[in-house]
Amino acid sequence: MRSSVNLSHYKRVMGQGTKARKFLLWFLLIIILALSFKASQIDIRAFIDGMPHALSLIKEMFPPDFTRWKRIITLTAETISVGFWGTFLGILVSVPLGIFSAKNTSPNAVIYNTSKELVNLLRAVPNIIYALIFVTTIGIGPVAGVIALMLATVGLLGKFYAEAVESIDPKPVEAIEAAGSHKLSVIRHAVFPQVFPLFMGYNLYALDHNIRAAMALGLVGAGGLGIELFTQMRSFNYQKVSAILIVMLIIIIAIDRVSAYLRKGIIEGTLFSANKFRDYVLMAIVAAMAFISIYFIPVDLKEIVYGLPRIWEFLSNMFPPERSDIPRYIWLMLETIAIGICGTFFAIVISIPLGMLAARNVTHSPVISNAAREITNFLRGIPDLVFALVFVAAVGLGPFAGVLALALHTAGFLGKFYAEAIENIDPKPVEAVEATGARFLQKIIHAVFPQALPLFNSYNLYILDRNIRAATILGVVGAGGIGFELIMSVRLFEHQRTATLIIIILITIMAVDRISAYLRKKVV
Amino acid sequence: MKWQGHGNAVPLQKEAKMLEMESIHKRFNGAEVLKGVDLKVKKGEAVALIGPSGSGKTTLIRIINGFVVPDNGRVVVLGKEIDYRKRDELRQMRRRIGMIYQLFNLVDRTSALDNVVSGALGRMDRGFELISSTIGLFSREVRERAMELLSFVGIEDKAFERVDRLSGGQKQRVAIARALMQEPEILLADEPIANLDPKTSQKIMELLTKTNREKGITIITVLHHLKSVRDHSHRVVGLKDGEICFDGRTDCLTREHLSSIYGFAGEYECAAA
Repeated sequence: MRSSVNLSHYKRVMGQGTKARKFLLWFLLIIILALSFKASQIDIRAFIDGMPHALSLIKEMFPPDFTRWKRIITLTAETISVGFWGTFLGILVSVPLGIFSAKNTSPNAVIYNTSKELVNLLRAVPNIIYALIFVTTIGIGPVAGVIALMLATVGLLGKFYAEAVESIDPKPVEAIEAAGSHKLSVIRHAVFPQVFPLFMGYNLYALDHNIRAAMALGLVGAGGLGIELFTQMRSFNYQKVSAILIVMLIIIIAIDRVSAYLRKGIIEGTLFSANKFRDYVLMAIVAAMAFISIYFIPVDLKEIVYGLPRIWEFLSNMFPPERSDIPRYIWLMLETIAIGICGTFFAIVISIPLGMLAARNVTHSPVISNAAREITNFLRGIPDLVFALVFVAAVGLGPFAGVLALALHTAGFLGKFYAEAIENIDPKPVEAVEATGARFLQKIIHAVFPQALPLFNSYNLYILDRNIRAATILGVVGAGGIGFELIMSVRLFEHQRTATLIIIILITIMAVDRISAYLRKKVV
Repeated sequence: MKWQGHGNAVPLQKEAKMLEMESIHKRFNGAEVLKGVDLKVKKGEAVALIGPSGSGKTTLIRIINGFVVPDNGRVVVLGKEIDYRKRDELRQMRRRIGMIYQLFNLVDRTSALDNVVSGALGRMDRGFELISSTIGLFSREVRERAMELLSFVGIEDKAFERVDRLSGGQKQRVAIARALMQEPEILLADEPIANLDPKTSQKIMELLTKTNREKGITIITVLHHLKSVRDHSHRVVGLKDGEICFDGRTDCLTREHLSSIYGFAGEYECAAA
């Protein structure tokens, strides 16, 4: 049935519904973005006016002043040890919790649901909030940091473990069950061997994540380098600040690389096969660091026990939550969300060129792609709270500093993710478009982007989720949002206020988490 | 349908040369893939390039549109010698050569029409057109031309369908429309039917023949399917171990020639036998 067809006819028939929906979606996005811009006080003039200040601040950072190197080394060791301890304790708790919250290994529905919800709850609270609470109840020092990271780790690993256990091959399990084995020995002999590599990969990821987090925990007094950074920043010793930043950066980038390398080796099973010597050396270094952290820098677990009554007191003082200020808190929460949205928006704007430059199949020049990669490593290496600290000094207190901090830090993630997405596209259509005589940018936009876009969107949503979560604590350093109110309520022992704020933050984070997961599923 | 020579019987040797290749050599990692190939193709010809796997057919095709740079030798396309170092010259030349691939090489997740209009990108390489085409705005004229081509290849009703939802044959039709959107003078096809079922293959080959006849576009096709070679080409060029071992009219291709190219003659019914 071939009839004479023309474009407008087909457009009327097939194009309209999707077009109207697309238009509506863009319209909504622009409205949300505009409102977020307003709420987070995006101010180009403040940015331009702040630039000379920021530049002079950077100038004042040089040359870095390492005179307090002994203290830096001690604190670095403490930071790493807090990271290892938090991960170690977190793993101990996560293994049973992960098994209980996996459908196929959980003893019964009640245990399954409670442990699953417990993990969800633990994951929703940002680790700085844990640290704040434990610093006030147990006292200033690394122990508060360790417990904070432990709880955050359980939230992370509990979920990962459960997912890993749920995705195993059921056949070997059935075989061992058929032999009449006890439930525990089924888990030990049929489940565990299957998930072990995945667990190890996740553990390394958690360790990487925790050492990075431990760098910032000091900002609220929970041990490590952060406290030194905060003190030096407050007393305008920028040369000492830069020395600390350099040490942080080196450690975070080194750990990021080692962890990524080992994770890849473990998951793909290539560890100890291609480059044996290097792999053994790296494993030995990680093991030695773990041993030193746990053996020589012991965390006084007694402090936790002594702290328990105080934690209980703290929790009981939270009830009933203060209700009079709820509308104001909700406004602050909206501002926080706006900071997250704007931070993500600018991160995307920075990452599109950065990611393209970093993608080896786009630039074809190792010098450019490596340089772009190093920039993403640098941006990822500096925790967003540290960026926030610097931007507060440059553009002043308020949400705008927070937006800039989130934008720069997460451009480090997005730039890397985009580059990986672009490197993984199918090169065949790209060649076909190049064969039509298209220019470079035409090729990128018509053949590369359409392929990478769904992944880009998924990453964007993930980063948006992460940024809204991170924005809740930026207020700790004065970079806007609900965090300032939270830290003040903790410092002033207004526990009932703290309770209200934490509840609002939790509800928001959990809602955003769900929405983001739902949308991510839809775009891919 | 048997190929009966070119419709309007102009003496072939007097027509304009579309392509001249002289002593083309190419090595990949030490292995010599092409050992001095000479090939001349005239306007309006339909040439089938045959030969066993690894004989250098694909390499030869990719040299013509500049995705493989020969180690030495001379390539003259459309009267102009290719300088593989000059990117813009190469691009200008690619504009005039369409390419069709075994795996279609369409951009998934976009519509058939989007894929077809991308064939016009090479032409829209200056000023305002460059900017608007880069961000994906094409004039009504271009889009209607794309629609016409989709109708030429017989799938205008799939114009707004995402190409990853199309069947193999439909995808290849989109790919042909995209190549035609370039308004090419030469169409290269690298095993265009190797991934299609026999009936679809037949239709795609008929479409290529129709393109060659109605639009007068020179076609060079790498083919494995010998029946298609016989039915759809004027001329056969046989490659073996990087050298041309047969070059002549399709009806001169005998079983003996085939067994020297492939090592066996297979099911080929020779026109000249």
